[in-house]
Amino acid sequence: MLVKVRAFAGFREILGKERELEAREGSTIADLLSELASNSPRFKESAFDNSGVLRDYVLLMWNKKKIDPCQDLSLEMHEGDELAIFPPVAGG
Amino acid sequence: MIEITEQDFSLDEIIKKAKRTDAGAVVTFLGTVRDDGIEMMELESFRESALQELESIRGEAVARFGLKSAEIVHRVGLLSVGDNIVAIVCSAAHRDEAFLGCRYIIEELKKRAPIWKKEIGENGERWVGRE
Repeated sequence: MLVKVRAFAGFREILGKERELEAREGSTIADLLSELASNSPRFKESAFDNSGVLRDYVLLMWNKKKIDPCQDLSLEMHEGDELAIFPPVAGG
Repeated sequence: MIEITEQDFSLDEIIKKAKRTDAGAVVTFLGTVRDDGIEMMELESFRESALQELESIRGEAVARFGLKSAEIVHRVGLLSVGDNIVAIVCSAAHRDEAFLGCRYIIEELKKRAPIWKKEIGENGERWVGRE
């Protein structure tokens, strides 16, 4: 299945603005983040600490709704889902 | 009006939109690029999501403070020192509500709207808020 990844600010500079990824049926958000990390050492270093835990400044939106990285990484993704990855906001 | 735009805006035009015959107060907040030893500032948004969040914030401010109108315009793109970043214009029957509503909107915008800025100077670049 195809899922879309959108990245903003510093993560956009690493991952690109938008990409579609082929993911296995039943893949979770955690699986997708791991795949991104395995394909990009810069993303891995930027988004995960040395123990492989997602850093607390990594914010996620799944289909344009905020999700809690502490609880929701096990959510299964479906065809056409969109995951947005970004750092803490700083507008104004 | 709620806008995220690459173009500069006219505060006068936004004030015209905010004025109401039943409002005796119009409060404006204008955020500009401060010279912190930077040369440029790059602003980026998650546009659809930011517009949605700004709509929610405006709705909350109108309900909470009884605003007659609330206009929000935020720029994105490459800006120079002194350029406009954001305008918030609130009208209300009386000044207290207009001041409170305007303050509420800018504070919530800074906390919640998916918008980012990068400071660009001769010594390098830095995304604000990452530390």
